Amino acid sequence: MDDDVLELDDDQIEEVSPLPQVAPSEADILMMARALVAGPASNDDIWSLLCASRQVPAKIGTTSERLLGDILAMSWRALWRRGGTKPQPSHLDGQRGRLWERYEPTDLKFSAQSLQFLRWLVTTPFSAPASTLKGLGAAKLELGDQLLVYFALDAARATPALRVIANQPFVHNAPLAWLGFAQYMAGGNVPAFDSLTIGAGPIVVEALTDEVARRWQAGEISKRSMTDPTELITFGAAQDAVLDGFLDACDRRNRRDLAGFVLDAVQPLLDRNIMPSPGQLDPAAPLSVRASARTSAGSLLRALVRWSDWDQQHRGVRFIDDNYQAVQVLLGRFEKIGSAGVGRVQGWLYELSGLVVAPGPTSD
Amino acid sequence: MSRAIQIRVSESVVRTVHVEDGVQSPLEMLPILAPDRMGELLAKELEDQGFTRDGDKATREDADGVIIEVDLKTATVTARIAAEKKLEESIDRRTSVGVERQEQAEKNLRDDVIRELDDRLSARTEALRKEITGKLEKKLGDLKKELDGAVGRATVAALTERAQSLGNIQSVVEDEAGNVTIKVKL
Repeated sequence: MDDDVLELDDDQIEEVSPLPQVAPSEADILMMARALVAGPASNDDIWSLLCASRQVPAKIGTTSERLLGDILAMSWRALWRRGGTKPQPSHLDGQRGRLWERYEPTDLKFSAQSLQFLRWLVTTPFSAPASTLKGLGAAKLELGDQLLVYFALDAARATPALRVIANQPFVHNAPLAWLGFAQYMAGGNVPAFDSLTIGAGPIVVEALTDEVARRWQAGEISKRSMTDPTELITFGAAQDAVLDGFLDACDRRNRRDLAGFVLDAVQPLLDRNIMPSPGQLDPAAPLSVRASARTSAGSLLRALVRWSDWDQQHRGVRFIDDNYQAVQVLLGRFEKIGSAGVGRVQGWLYELSGLVVAPGPTSD
Repeated sequence: MSRAIQIRVSESVVRTVHVEDGVQSPLEMLPILAPDRMGELLAKELEDQGFTRDGDKATREDADGVIIEVDLKTATVTARIAAEKKLEESIDRRTSVGVERQEQAEKNLRDDVIRELDDRLSARTEALRKEITGKLEKKLGDLKKELDGAVGRATVAALTERAQSLGNIQSVVEDEAGNVTIKVKL
């Protein structure tokens, strides 16, 4: 046996660095950050994490700071997993490629507000009645902070914590949160959406387009089972404000392609002839309120009509015009809806604003 | 041992309440002729239905109190109903308390009575509102049919005018489904 023992030189021995040590409260913050960034791939039980409450000190140590930085740096990877790997045509020339092939490397900035948000999530016991929970005040958010808020809302989507998080003034300052979760954030002031159309914003929006579209589509279907007209009016008003604000911002920055989720959300409704009309609104409510609720239900459809106006403008762009290639991408995007789809949507809008306020959603 | 006394509070209120409800909806007018001319043709049809024209508005008040107003310029219809009623309520209530609590008990009893009066008036106001909402709701189905008919006839008149501008009309045939065929000799 002694013959088998090999002697190693010092330079052959790899030094193993000790595992980083952090305080238990800091470990909770890191675990929360890891669960949010990992999202659907996380093995953590998010509801257990949100229900637990731990006091955390005002500052974190340098080791935790470094580890938190490492976790947040995985946000890009999280975005690729959520939809960034799908090859798509470039908004500039239609050249297909994955997100990182179509954009120059760009910083995703996080500020100290991300830590504040994580601290609040760790210290707040979300299983307690919402009225007893301490809120989180408004703050100026970088795009990275917004993304963390979005991840938190997504992670909490199947828990009662979703509405509590969505009601915080801090969260109301995140345009990305509004884009993804407008229906839960009703009541707050919708911020400007310009941060999502410049710098790293378009990359984030493009990566999340598919899931944002799925969420808007689910929101439209949920309108069919709503009975409280006031709730529907608030819901529709929030959607209108988000769509108007975001489409305006896209228009200003020549990034209409970023509003493609509107088309992706409406397309399945058209395919299955599902009109986002409330089934049976509370008959005790005034007719004026019920009529207003039905009109509110058409927010996404109105955004599609705006897309149709854009499409008409795109058709007027000639081969010799500078933006011809970019416009071809947009024309291709709208092709699936087509004039038949626009006609059906206009019919639905007419029906929603019609005189007879009676049940009657249509579906095949 | 304190002496018990009986307190009696009597309050009454008379309030005139006004309730209203209404809906607004676009009319499906096809842009066959210029908007002004389309408005004119619609106004003519509405006048035949008992509407009174005043500028860009055609209005009719029905026997059930529903007021229908058509904006000829924007092609929208508003149907509304309102009601005003004088509501009277009174409450007379007694309670027995110890003499040392008389002042506080009387104040509490009066507050309760006033609150209950407010609740009763609110309930009656809401009942009145529901009554007029019911009236309006019942009316809407027929009104929609009536207006659709007027819009349809105005559309046919517009099509006929348009056809006349193209040549000599040979025949105008309308089938049971409401489809109209206009033959024009150019």
